[in-house]
Amino acid sequence: MSLPEFDFHAPEGVDQACRMLSDYGAGARIFAGGTDLMLDMRRKRISPEHVISIAAIEELKRLDFAPGMLKIGGCVTVARIVKSKEIALKWGALCAGAKALGSCLVRNLATVGGNIVSARPAADLPPSLMVYSASLVLKKTTGERIVSMDDFFTGTGTTVMAADEILTEIRLAEPPPHSGAGYINLGIRNACDINILNVASHIVLDRPGGVINDARIVMGCVAPTHVRALAAEKLLMGEKPSEALFERAGEAAMKASSPRGSAYSRASAEYKKDMVKELTMRTLGIALKEASGSRS
Amino acid sequence: MKKLIRVTVNDVAHEVAVRPNQTLVDMIRYDLGLTGTKNGCGEGDCGACTVILDGTPVNSCLVLAMQADGRTITTIEGVESGEGLHPLQQAFIDKGAIQCGFCTPGMVLSAKSLLDENPAPSEEEIREGISGNLCRCTGYLQIIDAVKSVAK
Ligand code: FES
Ligand code: FES
Repeated sequence: MSLPEFDFHAPEGVDQACRMLSDYGAGARIFAGGTDLMLDMRRKRISPEHVISIAAIEELKRLDFAPGMLKIGGCVTVARIVKSKEIALKWGALCAGAKALGSCLVRNLATVGGNIVSARPAADLPPSLMVYSASLVLKKTTGERIVSMDDFFTGTGTTVMAADEILTEIRLAEPPPHSGAGYINLGIRNACDINILNVASHIVLDRPGGVINDARIVMGCVAPTHVRALAAEKLLMGEKPSEALFERAGEAAMKASSPRGSAYSRASAEYKKDMVKELTMRTLGIALKEASGSRS
Repeated sequence: MKKLIRVTVNDVAHEVAVRPNQTLVDMIRYDLGLTGTKNGCGEGDCGACTVILDGTPVNSCLVLAMQADGRTITTIEGVESGEGLHPLQQAFIDKGAIQCGFCTPGMVLSAKSLLDENPAPSEEEIREGISGNLCRCTGYLQIIDAVKSVAK
């Protein structure tokens, strides 16, 4: 199948890209890594008149470890996240999400920004980014705004982004002491597949061996967007971590999820629900280990 | 509208007129006549179209030809040197890692990129390194053996 006909543009900087986007209006699409867009175009799900490639814009490829803050340019490839020692050390759940995405070939093209903006409920990076309370910098010709990832997705494939905005940066605060996070995805094979389910959990202890001060759990593939398991989070607050507590949290997450069975993976809704409990428990286990370990 | 781009493929500089909606794999196969690069799924799943773009292996079916402007590409045809086959290519033959051969160019390029970065990979790392390349014939074991035999 061939691609629809379009004009190709490669602006040199973000400002020029924003200008093109606002000039060409609804007929324009941003091309970052292309791993989603090429598929959508090939399958004629979208037929843009203008394709604006931002993949080569230097300022969007910066990975910046500012004090207390990680800034990921929108076009940083997923492969660079996998390779970063600093991210593996401090943002382990993000590293796990990046490793789970596509194959090593796809990761060399796919961008962090693209994995967020395409707003697929099975995407690998959003759960971890959300538990780390990431915020997104959206730019257009008239200025920029910062949006919390909690408020970003509005449905499958839709976000709060305006048609003339570009996601230029993802910001993550450095995790507090005695905190940890875990991410697990469930698929039918280890590479090149679409997740059946994915969960990320993050907890903060008040001190080593202490009680849980803060908790965030995000689930994918159980609703049209990634969702937080708020009841499960609440149940963890102020409690001392234990297997029994994590099991109760898993049950609360399970109750809060409403997955649909999927024809692709042949995973039934019941199976997914059971696995929500399991993955919640396991990711909390990873989070606890990290919170009690070297980084605390 | 067609546009002229400059690419260096296997150390040879080319000027090619490409259409905006032309993929890199199509340019390599039809405009440059380098048919070692295969077009399999066209969707980033199979890795038959693997080429090395500025030192990084990618699915050339997911790249637009125009994005290659000013860049450097190695295809399977560029792996062999004046002295004959690359050690990986020879190892694929010796270990029976080729049956129909459709996946082989991509496999060799992925394996080469892996070994260039990590000359002594573990089996796990080899499996990970070829995770983007599907083989419908061999069952992978001979391919892993071949890569192992060249690794340090
Ligand atoms: S043809 Fe490119 S990945 Fe299959
Ligand atoms: S040898 Fe036939 S696909 Fe690998």
